[in-house]
Amino acid sequence: MLEQLKEILSNKLKVSPEAITPEATREDIELDSLAVVELSLLLKSELDLDISDDDLLEAETVADMVRLMEERSAKV
Amino acid sequence: MAGMDIAVTGLGLVTPGGIGVGPSWAAVCDGRPAAALDPVLADNPVQISCRVPGFDPEILLSARRAHRLDRFVQFALVAAHEAVADAGLDPQTWDGARVGVVLGCADGGPGTVEDQHQVLREQGAGRVSPLLLPMQLPNMLAGQTAIEFGATGPNLVVATACASGATAIGTARDLLALGRCDIVLAGGSEAMVTPLVMAGFAQMGALSKRHDDPASASRPFDSDRDGFVAGEGAGILVMERVADARARGAHVHGRIIGYGATADAHHMTSPHPDGAGIEAAVRAALADAGADPDDVQHVNAHGTSTPLNDLSEARMIQRTLRGDPLVTSTKGVTGHLLGAAGAVEAAFAVLSVEHELIPPVANLVMPDPRIEIKLAQTLTEMPIDLALSTSLGFGGQNTALAIAPA
Repeated sequence: MLEQLKEILSNKLKVSPEAITPEATREDIELDSLAVVELSLLLKSELDLDISDDDLLEAETVADMVRLMEERSAKV
Repeated sequence: MAGMDIAVTGLGLVTPGGIGVGPSWAAVCDGRPAAALDPVLADNPVQISCRVPGFDPEILLSARRAHRLDRFVQFALVAAHEAVADAGLDPQTWDGARVGVVLGCADGGPGTVEDQHQVLREQGAGRVSPLLLPMQLPNMLAGQTAIEFGATGPNLVVATACASGATAIGTARDLLALGRCDIVLAGGSEAMVTPLVMAGFAQMGALSKRHDDPASASRPFDSDRDGFVAGEGAGILVMERVADARARGAHVHGRIIGYGATADAHHMTSPHPDGAGIEAAVRAALADAGADPDDVQHVNAHGTSTPLNDLSEARMIQRTLRGDPLVTSTKGVTGHLLGAAGAVEAAFAVLSVEHELIPPVANLVMPDPRIEIKLAQTLTEMPIDLALSTSLGFGGQNTALAIAPA
């Protein structure tokens, strides 16, 4: 899941790949509230995952986002 | 405001002639037309445009920054970086509160709107990008420029259609004269070459349909002209009061010594047939400069290559400026940059007075016999004490800028 998230962040949202580490915070990878909505839309269109922007805003780090993605995909 | 001297200390250009002042100026001096068939317009009735060659925003800005900006803002930021560096200013150390941004565009970001409208139709409202509005709103031109350079002074975008870039420079001059700020990044930017916008221009009958020879489609003042060719790009000027520029030892490219602005109050798209509105703007700019109309030596005309504009503008020049100025229209090379045109052409006029060079009208083969002004048919070397740049916009808005050497 980390690799999939990395791919979306770097290829679609153009976040620099070296900045995307599990410990990186949303601020470190420059994800403001608008970018979080974009990410939510991309998680749906690319991976068919339903994760709202509000849920993503609760995630403090990339690792937290990956955990959220794993939980949601397990439910499917 | 009469007699207020405003210096141009920095120039930045992104035009169909090239990225940067050097390539853009070389293209217009060489008379190399940029017009070509445009694959983006393959399904349009008119498929000719002037694109900025090799514009890669991910390299020129950063990939992350470029992703969140419409093309019209990307052009402006690239041009503004060139202009600020050229002025020898450092945004890390300047007093941002004294730096204003006044930019013009005709339309904002129609490319973004068209893309997201397709998403709406095909995938539903829930898939529309949250960046739709922050990318396409016209005022983002000035807002994003402020963010890029830490410029926290007066900040606005003006819209007078194809006169927008010149209106911005005139408005910047007023702000500096009033002491509202000490430095202004002024100019215009436009990225309107999209299928929908170009379909609209085509339906108006405004565009050249010279598909058999697109390079010669933009031919201002020529007897065979049949419409304009839309272009894209940006022109940014760093403007300061002359005394401030001299005090900090800045290089002054030229001075904006007068500005005139009027409205035709006549028709939503056609210029006033006898050019009364643009004549009044020219007279106002020269009065502002304290100059005699007969002393104008060079005009960088609006010269769009449409049958109506070029004739009425030429008649206005002949009637108003009786010192036989040498007239060019750089749109033969760049096409019509719409809301950026006035700024790009003011920059070219500044370069003309600085380098004592007047670029030729590209594609001028047989001047319209009804036009009796002196047109630059080759690159002409001559000292210029007083130049004019004229711009007219749909809606009947007219501007003139009076430009003098440093």
